[in-house]
Amino acid sequence: MTTEIIQEIKKPKIAIVSLTSCEGCQFALLDLGEKFLEAMSLVEMVDFRLLEDEEDAGESIDIGFVEGNPMTAANKKTLLELRKRSKLLVVIGNCAAMGGIPEIRNYHEGKQTVKHVYKYIQGIETEEVQEVDNFVKVDFTFPGCPITGEEFLKYFPILLANVKGGGKLPTILDSPVCTECRAKGNRCLLLDKKPCFGPMILGGCDAVCPTARMGCQGCRGLRPTGNVKAMKMALKQMMTDEEFENTTEIYGLKDDIEDWEKNNNK
Amino acid sequence: MILKIGKKIITNKDMQIKINHIAKIEGHTGFMASVIKGDVKSAKFEVQEGIRLIEGILIGRHYKDMPVIAQRICGICPVVHNLTSIKAIENAMKIEVTSETEKLRAVMEHAQFIHSHALHLFFLSLADFLDIENDLQLVKEYPEETKKAVKIREYGMELIKVIGGRVVHPLTNEVGGFKKVPTLEELKQLILKGEETLPIALELAAFFQTIKTPNFSRPTEYVCLKTKGEYAIYDGDVTSNKGLFVDVQHFEDNFHEFQRPKEIIKRVKRDGKTSYMVGAIARVNNNHEKLSSAAQKYLKSLNFNLPDYNPFHNVLYQMVEVVHCVEDSVKLLKELTHMDLANAITKDYVVRQGSAAAAVEAPRGTLYYWVDIDPKGYIKNVNIITPTAQFLTHLEDDIAAFIPGIIEKDEKAMERKMRAFIRAYDPCISCAVH
Repeated sequence: MTTEIIQEIKKPKIAIVSLTSCEGCQFALLDLGEKFLEAMSLVEMVDFRLLEDEEDAGESIDIGFVEGNPMTAANKKTLLELRKRSKLLVVIGNCAAMGGIPEIRNYHEGKQTVKHVYKYIQGIETEEVQEVDNFVKVDFTFPGCPITGEEFLKYFPILLANVKGGGKLPTILDSPVCTECRAKGNRCLLLDKKPCFGPMILGGCDAVCPTARMGCQGCRGLRPTGNVKAMKMALKQMMTDEEFENTTEIYGLKDDIEDWEKNNNK
Repeated sequence: MILKIGKKIITNKDMQIKINHIAKIEGHTGFMASVIKGDVKSAKFEVQEGIRLIEGILIGRHYKDMPVIAQRICGICPVVHNLTSIKAIENAMKIEVTSETEKLRAVMEHAQFIHSHALHLFFLSLADFLDIENDLQLVKEYPEETKKAVKIREYGMELIKVIGGRVVHPLTNEVGGFKKVPTLEELKQLILKGEETLPIALELAAFFQTIKTPNFSRPTEYVCLKTKGEYAIYDGDVTSNKGLFVDVQHFEDNFHEFQRPKEIIKRVKRDGKTSYMVGAIARVNNNHEKLSSAAQKYLKSLNFNLPDYNPFHNVLYQMVEVVHCVEDSVKLLKELTHMDLANAITKDYVVRQGSAAAAVEAPRGTLYYWVDIDPKGYIKNVNIITPTAQFLTHLEDDIAAFIPGIIEKDEKAMERKMRAFIRAYDPCISCAVH
């Protein structure tokens, strides 16, 4: 009994918090089933609204996981509080990391977008959509829309080791989506003149899209040595510049590409 | 707050009921009600969700982006958002798809019901009927039942993974058909898994038969799709137990979507007047004679008198639908093994202008899309009406009727009962505020 209690005390505390999103990343975790429950047996879950009714007391925690976009004032408050009480703040998914599909509005009509949807717009919050790292320091990011469950299981123990004994934070290997795609024996979509961003995008997703014959649209973001210029050249025969730009808007990749082009003089 | 004198209850003050955050539902919302001298004066949800403006961001985009973006409205039920947008675009551009494509899509729909319902009825709702606050405790106390619920979910997820390429935000579906189809061997594996799952579903169903649901009843209008010869899930016309029967293209003539100032969830009323109910309880009430044989047998064993107006029973009707969808998906898969799946691969089609509606049954009720496309394939306008937006007013009306019956309990117990009531509806706030 006593040892059990001691073990319980020693367990790192974590919270999984959701801001504005589809909550699909939480489901990507939950859908791991037994494997997720096993991973969670190593920690004390302080807050996970999808599974528990108990009020979260706001205590200090070791790792705060955050999904979704800090779009409303309440979202921002939740995020700042989470940062304050967490040793590590870990971002899960494209909405938190890159803005996600809601960011599309930044690229177009911005605040005007709301007029297509609502008759009464007074009192409705429609600020510019900004990624989590605009508000707080982020220690690690699980990219993707949604995140890859297996990748979570791979890095979760490393994150736990970090908060327990100060081990290094994980880094995702700078390797394109193509590496896993080839390993699966897929025929390259680009060879069939089907647009695919695989070469410039950070792998680790098991190339799930190209395996389903869906071109990569970049939800995991540019990889550190990804070459946008070369990618655009390769895609020229299969899509117009406008189509390229439109596609980069879906997962908030567009601003990252603009930054890359600024830094690399186009 | 409440004075009890003998059996007579006198409330000496106005009562404000406030639940800050309802956990274990999809999305974020609170709830407020005010009771004055025992009468419920208002019962209202306070949605705490940011607005993603999905319809707004779709305007001006190419139609091919729509199923990809729209499915991201919801992480539990992406399949139905994906398929309904695809169907609406196909209707608008007059694209016909093969029976192979339709059947594969129907299997995905069944799979969506199985894993969404299994999640809700077991992991989100069940604890309420057993007076447990935390699912980790539920899992500890009911390990066998948990395993069964997980197994049932896994079958649903496996179907979507194999046919759609991924569970959360599937990949293979597109306008005109599929980018990739499963192999015969994969179909056979799924059939085996489905056959293994049916007895497990029946065992879990038997367990659910033993849970006690509170008494409450308020006659209402049940709305869902209906189609000849089968339990309508993937397609059908709009029907209700009050004699409505219209083509989906006339949905908005009968159901009016509107926004109240300062509210971010739009509401829908029948002919602009009354609230109505959608979802498992509506479908089983309206279409029960078309359920699969095992599902009909289970429904009979529940001894409910149809029409049944107790919203707590929604959870049990979801269980009925899980049994139906497991049994029926195996039937559909078997039919698919005798068909040429290459016919489900997308063929060339003509992009043209047009506008049209489409609907499917989502786990939580009828999901409606309308889209208007220009000659080059860019979206001019779009409207999405989700099940939760449709039943939200109904849920508030129901709770207003439910509160007087529980007002004598202590405050905590009362709040618990209300949360249980709300969760039985299985609201999806992310869907409602899209």
